[in-house]
Order: sequence, then C-alpha cells, then structure tokens
Amino acid sequence: MSIDLTLVGQFVVFITMLLLMKKMLYVPLNDAMEARTKKIEAGLAAADAGMEAKAKADADAALQLDAAKSKAQEIVSAAERRAAEVKEEAVVKARLEAASIVDAGKEELASEVGRAKQGLREEVAGIALQAAEKIVGVELDAKRHASLIDATIAKGFDVA
Amino acid sequence: MAAEEHSTGIAGHLQYWTYSFQQDLPVDERNPFMQIHIDTMLVTGFVACLILFFSAWLKGRIVEGAPIGAQNAVESVVGFVNDTVRDNFPVHNPLVAPLALTIFVFIFLCNFFDILPAYLLGHIAEGLGAPAFRPVPTNDLNLPVAMALVVFSLVLYYEFKLKPIHFMKDLLLQPFASLLLDSKNPVVKLLGVALIPLNLTLKLIEELAKPLSLSFRLFGNMFAGEVIFLLIASLLLVDNMHDLMSVSGVISEIIGFVVGLAWSFFHMFIGLLQAFIFMILTVVYLSIAHQPVEH
Repeated sequence: MSIDLTLVGQFVVFITMLLLMKKMLYVPLNDAMEARTKKIEAGLAAADAGMEAKAKADADAALQLDAAKSKAQEIVSAAERRAAEVKEEAVVKARLEAASIVDAGKEELASEVGRAKQGLREEVAGIALQAAEKIVGVELDAKRHASLIDATIAKGFDVA
Repeated sequence: MAAEEHSTGIAGHLQYWTYSFQQDLPVDERNPFMQIHIDTMLVTGFVACLILFFSAWLKGRIVEGAPIGAQNAVESVVGFVNDTVRDNFPVHNPLVAPLALTIFVFIFLCNFFDILPAYLLGHIAEGLGAPAFRPVPTNDLNLPVAMALVVFSLVLYYEFKLKPIHFMKDLLLQPFASLLLDSKNPVVKLLGVALIPLNLTLKLIEELAKPLSLSFRLFGNMFAGEVIFLLIASLLLVDNMHDLMSVSGVISEIIGFVVGLAWSFFHMFIGLLQAFIFMILTVVYLSIAHQPVEH
C-alpha cells in the first residue's frame, strides 16, 4: 500500500475516461433519451388534447343528439297532429261523400221509381185498353181515351 | 509448513508488479514515489479501453426510438445516475452526471475483477514472467485516491467559483466567526484573529477528510474482500495428491468451494455498493459546493 507515480497514471486515466465517456457515451445517449422524452411528452400532450377534443365532441354530439331528439319529437308530434287532422278531414269528407252518394242514390231511386211508375202506368193503360177492347168489342182510340185512362191509372196508383 | 507456505502465498499475492524509475539506484535508496504499479495500470487501461470501445460502438447505434439490447441496458444505468443527480443536486451542472456515471461504471467494472479466481491472474502473470500481479485496481490505493482527488479538486473549484467570499470566510473564521464579526469587544476580536490558524487547521482537516474517507472506504472494503478471498482460497491449497484425496482434504475443498462461492456473491454486492457509495458521495460533496449561501 503505497502512493507513487501510479497515482498520476490513474489520475490521467480517470480524467481521460471522464472526458471521453462524456463525449462518446453520456451526451449522445442523454440527447437520445431527452429527444425521446420530449417526443413522448408531445405524444402525451397530443393524446390529452385528443382526449379533450373527443370529450368536447362527445359533449357537442350529446347536445346535438338532444336537440335532434327534441326536434324529432316535435316533428313526430306535428305529424301526429297532422295525421289526426287528415284523418278527421278524411272522415268528414267521407261522410260528406257518403251523404252525397246517398242523396244521389235517393234521387236516382226516385227517378227510377218515377220511370217505373210511368212505364207501369203505360203498360197498365195498354193492358186496360186491350181488356176494355175485348170487353167492349170495339177498337178504342188510344189517343182519344189516353187522358181518361191515365187519370184512372193515376187515381189507382195514388190509391195504391 | 503448509500454513507458512499459504501465508507466504497470500503475502506474495498482495505484492504489486512494480517498476521503479530509479533502477540505477540500490533498492534501499530508491524513492518509493518514483515507481509505478504496472498491474494496476494495465487493468485500469484495459477497463478504460473496454468502456471507450463499447462507447464508440454504441454511439453509432443509438436510436431515438424504443431502445433495445445494449442501449437499453446502458440507458437504465444512465437513467439511474441522472435520477440520483437530479434528486441530490440543486442546480444543473453538465459535468456532474457524466462524472457520476464514469465513477460508478469504472469502479464497478474494476471491482468486478474480484470475481475471478483469487490466484488465477497472478499465476498466469507469473507464467508470463511477471513477478506479481494484482487484478483488482481498486485494491491499489492509488486509484481511489486519484478519483477522490479529482472530486476534491472539483469541490474546491466550485466552492471558489460560486461563493469565494463565503468559502474564504468559512475557511478562516469558522467555527469562531462570531468572535471576530459579532463582538464589539476589541479583546475578543483580537482573540478571533488569533484563532484564525486554528480555524484554518480545523477546516483543512474537515476538507481533507472528504477525499481521505472517500478513497479509504473503497480501498479498505475491496482490500479486505480480497484478503478474505485469499484466505478462503487457502482452504483449497494442499501439499500433495494424498492430502487432496484424504477425508479432511475433501471436506476442506467442499467447505472452501461453498464459502468461496457465497463470498463471491456477497463481494459482488459489496463492489456494487461501494461504486454506488463513491458516486453518491461525489454528488453530495459537489451538491454542497453548489448550495447557495444562507444569510
């Protein structure tokens, strides 16, 4: 155990190694580590910003969804109201149409009844004439006795 | 007889391979400082070259992305050193972390040579014609002292550079500064002046204790570890084949092997611990030198 010139040699070795290790190992490695750390921090910051943006977008989407739901509800309500109105209108219109159809039917029926009565009257008149001719044995003048026959038939129909 | 040979072997193993620069003088008249330990220089040179070649090799392969392999391992060490410095250092100094890294790696690798079988390198060196060979350079006081002096010089440099007035005041007046500065009594002030040499002596002892404790702690631990290795290894030494094959010889071989293995693991831990202690104390001493002056 002695202190000698080895001390100087070790001093030189250590100082040389310190300087070279700093230049060749520590600085490049530390730079790489710092660059990576910055990159990771930037990535994390971007991720945080992304998360914030996503949260904001989610909130906006939720708001828009709520607004859309409200609007859709309004539309549905309006549509339901409109449908009820249309339905009511259709019912009214149908009722009116049904009434008009019934009226038209009634009118047609009345006219048909009238026409049937007229036809029947004429037929009855013809039959009556033929019957009377056979009974009387002379040919009756239809034009001359038509008014008489009609009055009789009408009287009979009225009685009927 | 055998014990005597063993003790001679241990003493012989504790000799350095020395070269004197005063070869022309008789051995008794040579200045003990004018010699160099060739084994220490060779091993530290080998370790330094190993580290520097590895650094040069790694430098060309450093990537900023996810590190793999050797870069990953070295980054773990650098990260550990950076964290240690960051936790203990009040300001940024670009020299401290590389210094701490160099100290940690260099001491650890030098201590690592102790895991080699105790007499192996000595016998190989003897076979090559060297008179002696000690493989662990931290067992040579010159290496711990050289590193401690570097640290001590840096501490003094930063003390003078960052707070010269405070340091000089601390050097000359502490711990009796109040006698000279606070007292209004001229006699007490004179006493304070008279005590300056004592203050200076106390402060110098305090300052010199730092590198001394730093170097002797490392040297003492590693030296004691080596001596214990040699003592354990001496359990394996027998005089002849008959002794080796005897019951006591076999028992002694087994005990020597088991104890030696256990001590190897423990000593590796000690080597790592000593490297860490030297590094952390360096950071702490430099941190104290960088501490701002309190008023």
